[in-house]
Amino acid sequence: MPTSLASRARLFKEYKDVQREKSADTDILLTCDENNIYRWTAHIKGPAETPYQEGIFQLSINVPEQYPLVPPQVRFLTKVFHPNVHFKTGEICLDILKTAWSPAWTLQSVCRAIIALMAHPEADSPLNCDCGNLLRSGDLRGYQSMARMYTRLAASPNVSH
Amino acid sequence: MPTKRILCKYFKQGACFKGDGCEFSHDWRDPDCNVCTYYQSGNCAYGSSCRYEHVKLKRPESVTPARTSTVAAHTNFGTVGATSGALSRSSGGNSEAWQNNLSSADIAWQEHSPFASYNGGWQEAVSYASADEGWPLPSSSFQIRNEVEDTPKYNDPSEEPICALAATGRCTRGESCPYLHGDRCSLCGKECLHPHRPEERDEHRRQCERNQKRLEALRFSQDIECSICLDRVLSKPTNAERKFGLLSGCDHPFCISCIRDWRSTSQPQGSGSDAIVRLCPVCRVLSYYVIPSVIWYSNVEEKQEIIDGYKARVRDIDCKHFDFGNGRCQFGTSCFYKHAFRDGTTEEVKLRHLGAADGNTVIAKDVRLSEFLGRLNLRR
Repeated sequence: MPTSLASRARLFKEYKDVQREKSADTDILLTCDENNIYRWTAHIKGPAETPYQEGIFQLSINVPEQYPLVPPQVRFLTKVFHPNVHFKTGEICLDILKTAWSPAWTLQSVCRAIIALMAHPEADSPLNCDCGNLLRSGDLRGYQSMARMYTRLAASPNVSH
Repeated sequence: MPTKRILCKYFKQGACFKGDGCEFSHDWRDPDCNVCTYYQSGNCAYGSSCRYEHVKLKRPESVTPARTSTVAAHTNFGTVGATSGALSRSSGGNSEAWQNNLSSADIAWQEHSPFASYNGGWQEAVSYASADEGWPLPSSSFQIRNEVEDTPKYNDPSEEPICALAATGRCTRGESCPYLHGDRCSLCGKECLHPHRPEERDEHRRQCERNQKRLEALRFSQDIECSICLDRVLSKPTNAERKFGLLSGCDHPFCISCIRDWRSTSQPQGSGSDAIVRLCPVCRVLSYYVIPSVIWYSNVEEKQEIIDGYKARVRDIDCKHFDFGNGRCQFGTSCFYKHAFRDGTTEEVKLRHLGAADGNTVIAKDVRLSEFLGRLNLRR
């Protein structure tokens, strides 16, 4: 089977699963572009007891044709202050989206991994150096207030993107 | 539907996906039809190498009164009547009409019957093959007897043939059948166990148990999904894709094509990332090899059986990388395929252990003289 067909079939399956289990996971809302099954958007809720709490973050997901043999390209559309997210481009530094990708991951589980990353920032491989330095120097309060501010500014549900 | 009584040949191979909607039978107890239909119309291009049986099913133009005896009635009318039930039983029946009514079900039945010589005779003291092989008797072994009322006598009870109609399904004559009815097999429900042939009984039981087990495993395998394409493995469109890839290290199911594709992807980042494709995508356990299988296993023994069976099959195939000693196989001593030279001798590998500078032992790679000679610039 050519890879484009295989990826299409797999994405279609994921689409159906997402439709079926919509109510099961209220933290993630995955929507597929109406005209292109390779383009998806996700809205994820900021994890509780983190500075991202109560924020809704929008992710753009670009699925390559070789999917699921290669990982999807995911980035934040919503501004987020996090050591592993590029402040300008929204690029995410997450091993499973790069070298540790496995074809058993789905778009849904990728979103779940991103939520976990938000709750557990990894200051030693920062894409946002300022944020990483705050954490590495032990200024947890500084990091939290910055992150909370940007969550209020950019990710509050009543703010239009 | 007459074909409902014939075992579906795709089902037999474990590959019929019509399920209950199939027009052929999905019951192992039903006989299969192995008669070449092209041979019937006289133009099978495969000739003697045809995989189907070349047996003429033509009947005589009319049935002579001498042959409409009890036995003839059993062979011709009995067979047809038992299977289609729609055919006339009158002895003067029009043979043309028969032939037109002769559905494939009837052909299968008659094929399975040792008495199915349409000359109206029966076969004399034939040594039977096992019932599972569908009575592969060439028509030349049938002998026409004139004294048809004579029931042959057998000195040794094990020589007496059992009624083939009963053995393959049902004999309409029941108690009044002049032939010996076999004991009923508890697994397939057919009266095919010869009372006086113990080896044949054991063989049949073994075969039946194998069939039953395989069918059970196949049914169980139908619902198993591949973790890569998220499809059911046995519902893939082509036959080649409907196979599982068993990982040596763990028990997660994949399509053979999906897991092979994944393991052959090269990761962009260099060091150590080759190894990640050899880990199970689900549990990240290292597996050194993938084994194709049409059925999924339910316990460790079955998995080992599948792996051993595969290795045994593949061991007889010459390795294309080794190429009779001309090539080089990267798998070396762990290759599953045969490493033999043209003269039939197998490759003997002596691993050379070398002490490395750091005190560890390394295994020296195979070094060939030709590699040095090829680089030499010979001065003339």
